[in-house]
Amino acid sequence: MSIAQSLESIGFLNEFSESVLVYPIVLSTHLTCIALLGGMILMTNLRLLGLTLKSLTITEVVTSLRLWKRIGGVIMIGTGLLLATSEATKYAPNPFFWTKMIILSLIGVHALVFRPIVYNRTEELDRSSLIPAKVKAAAILSLILWTGMFTMGRLIAYWD
Amino acid sequence: MLIQNAVADTLNNTEWAFPLAECIHIGGFAVGVGSIALVDLRLLNLGLRQETAARILRYTEPWTVIAMIFVAFSGFMLFLSQVGIYAINPIFPWKMYVLAAALIYNFTVHRRVATMKDAPPVLSKFVAAISLLLWVSVVFGGIFTGFLE
Repeated sequence: MSIAQSLESIGFLNEFSESVLVYPIVLSTHLTCIALLGGMILMTNLRLLGLTLKSLTITEVVTSLRLWKRIGGVIMIGTGLLLATSEATKYAPNPFFWTKMIILSLIGVHALVFRPIVYNRTEELDRSSLIPAKVKAAAILSLILWTGMFTMGRLIAYWD
Repeated sequence: MLIQNAVADTLNNTEWAFPLAECIHIGGFAVGVGSIALVDLRLLNLGLRQETAARILRYTEPWTVIAMIFVAFSGFMLFLSQVGIYAINPIFPWKMYVLAAALIYNFTVHRRVATMKDAPPVLSKFVAAISLLLWVSVVFGGIFTGFLE
């Protein structure tokens, strides 16, 4: 039995994907978190680019949204894991799913690279009047990666 | 209807058109609902607390409106591509009723309270909770439209 098959056969995951109500509820929760997180990520990045929320400092925007991004992120990953593992045999050969996972890991790389030089040094950024190239790069790359994420997420349904 | 057939033909016969419209729909509502949620969080005295709800609304509203235009347009295209299916779907009309309520609420009550000077905290919180409830219901309605046929 493959890993995907064994995952799917786990009792509650199996019942879950068969359920008429629970599956769409979890999927809707997943999408609600995407909306919550999407709005916050967009606004944070636009603030980094100096395009909105300008009466707030970058530090204020980044720190006061951090908790909410984390809550949204945790629920999004939790529901995402349920959705993917309950139909593991469908997801395992799906190239869009794996592209999405690669983008997810690139988001991790983005965090590793830009957190120390941008997101954790916002006070420095607030003091300078220019927007450094690294900040523009961080914001634009983040927007591209998240666009890729939800696009691949949707396209998973189109491969058979 | 001619236009209906033209849209349906394109969306159903071009491999990438329907998924593209869906992606625009999802990206659009993420930005639209997410930007409204920032105002709601502020009304609940959470999130961007260093600024007033009125200012946050002023900053986010253009993004909300632009996003909503994309969502409405892509949604209308998706609807036209499968009018027959949506017409008999038991959930779809409810999604539209809740959407209409959410839109009207957003640009009347919600806007009024968010821009009010010294709104009572209880009122702000109540208005924000209703707003979140309405928009989350619209998202759920969209998913359930696809699941319960």
